[in-house]
Amino acid sequence: MNKRLSLALLLSLAVFLVSVLFLSSIMKEGPPDKAKAFPRGAIVVGVDAAVPPFASDDGQAVYGLDIDLANAIAAHIDLPIQFVNIGYYGLYDALISGEVDILISALRVEEARMDDVRYTRHYFDNGLLLVTPVDKPIPSLDGLAGQKVSYEFGSRADAELRVLEDEHEPVTRLPYELPTYALDSLRLAHADAAIVDATTLRLYQRRFANWSTAQRYLTRDPYAIATRHDNSDAWRLVDGALAALKENGELDRIIAMWL
Amino acid sequence: MFNSFRQMSRRFFKLLPRPGWLLLLITVYIVLSTTWSPVEYVELGEAQIVQTTKPQVCVHTLLENEVHERKIKRSLELVREMGATTIVQFFPWAYFEPSDDQYNWTQADLIVRHAKNQGLRIIARLGLVPDWARPASDGRATTLNYLPEASFDDFAEYAAQLAARYIEEIRHFIIWNEPNLSFEWGYRPVDPAAYVRLLQLSYRAIKGANSQALVLAGALAPTNEAQGSSAGLNEMDFLRQMYRRGAAPYFDALAVHSYGSTEPADAEPSPDRLNFRRLELLRQIMVDADDAAKPVFITESGWNDHPRWTGAVRPSQRLQYTIKAFEFTAANWSWAEQLCIWAFRYPAPLNAYPDNFTLVSPEFDLKPIYYAIQDYARGWERGATQWLPPPVAS
Repeated sequence: MNKRLSLALLLSLAVFLVSVLFLSSIMKEGPPDKAKAFPRGAIVVGVDAAVPPFASDDGQAVYGLDIDLANAIAAHIDLPIQFVNIGYYGLYDALISGEVDILISALRVEEARMDDVRYTRHYFDNGLLLVTPVDKPIPSLDGLAGQKVSYEFGSRADAELRVLEDEHEPVTRLPYELPTYALDSLRLAHADAAIVDATTLRLYQRRFANWSTAQRYLTRDPYAIATRHDNSDAWRLVDGALAALKENGELDRIIAMWL
Repeated sequence: MFNSFRQMSRRFFKLLPRPGWLLLLITVYIVLSTTWSPVEYVELGEAQIVQTTKPQVCVHTLLENEVHERKIKRSLELVREMGATTIVQFFPWAYFEPSDDQYNWTQADLIVRHAKNQGLRIIARLGLVPDWARPASDGRATTLNYLPEASFDDFAEYAAQLAARYIEEIRHFIIWNEPNLSFEWGYRPVDPAAYVRLLQLSYRAIKGANSQALVLAGALAPTNEAQGSSAGLNEMDFLRQMYRRGAAPYFDALAVHSYGSTEPADAEPSPDRLNFRRLELLRQIMVDADDAAKPVFITESGWNDHPRWTGAVRPSQRLQYTIKAFEFTAANWSWAEQLCIWAFRYPAPLNAYPDNFTLVSPEFDLKPIYYAIQDYARGWERGATQWLPPPVAS
């Protein structure tokens, strides 16, 4: 056997061994351990109950979409739940220091935190939407050129519109004081399109249920549940529960109740 | 010599089979691409002077986490161009003394050098405890805000080192941040007596390093928490207890945080409401304690315009309330030295409501609030309202 052939064989063998070791390390992981994941015997959830309709606090209890979602997850895992209301600045500290087990608080996935935090799959996308009347959709962003676009002055939509104009063609800007005014403007046919976030649109459509729109995401803002990176049992249990809630339609039902 | 080198390298490559030197090249590429980065060269530029008609205008910057020197420079240029005379800048102990008595001032030097060149005054905010100064408590990890009493002397020593190093550039030092909040006190019950001991040690250390330095106590957070709350203690009771514990000789000015929350800038103060003028209640406590000669520095203030946070207002309201706050301060509070807006810019988005406190985005997009403050500070008139009236059915 020549030297080159033996080297190639050796390399292939090394790759094979590494793959086997990697796969076996994954496969030998048994079912997640509830006691290890939640040693207090309950799921302690950190939430900033100041962002309705995701979470609010009426002085007696916390409530909202995130609270209902947390309760559904706890029911699926079959553990009691406790909520700890923490301001945003303390949320991740509370998770990392073990004050709480998980965070469900309209949190966007943040890559910069991934050394300490492991996020589940996302449960809602609050990105910015380009909204048009259902019978007058704008097929591409180039089609916005010269169109009247309503948005909230000074908001994320305002900033995104500037980006769009840089990348495409200028539009006729219709800035308003409130995002609902921007949608009013579209509904009343003053504007050809509006830019608002997904939550704003869904809440507005609850008030005007007969008004149909077409929309497309301009930006993504995925909300997910945060677990500690070193608590893989908690991540597996919570992410698994979330997957099941997505699958059986419970997540959609919870979202539809609040948005 | 040249020939022998060529012969040697030929022999070397002959020794390696083809897959071998392919692997070698890949390894070299990986090593270089992960370890080598071009050195950033940023010119300091000409020394600048702030053009302003309102010297009270100040912003809180967060340059300690800014990786790129050019972004530090750009941030401070924008602060100056906005017409702010002063910045509050965080100098985290954990960053600059990562090991006991081992200082690394690289980032602090960059910030101070560029701020000085832009003609900006620096108020240094001190906090964040390095690992070595905060052992685990009851077997649990402690947060960066956990300062055990045993490390008070080390903190004071850090404050003295900072004061000595920047003796020409920094005169104002804030001792700790929001000690009346449990979160800022390392998730422990707040402790005014312990804070006064920290203040006393820091005051002596800083004055020993720079007798001209000014020590700012606080900076107290606005909160309604009552005595015994696990979240903190309202700033009025905290300040009263500070005076009772003998804090007065150990600070030259009081730093306070005065956020507008959801109320206009001129809304009446009240102990059960969080609004901008609430700090008048703190000022009265200073007067009652015969400490009225000391000025107040509002080292954090502003309104938030997040679409859903309960503490936020609309962007248009934020703009109007902020300018009114500057006008109100200038007209009514002769004891208020600076009004500093939280925060100028984050190096990266937090992707949560705190992003809506900033004046400039991480990508250096200037928000309408930036232009409004610039107009006010520089005495410019930019003209008409920037938004349309609510649409009505025609």
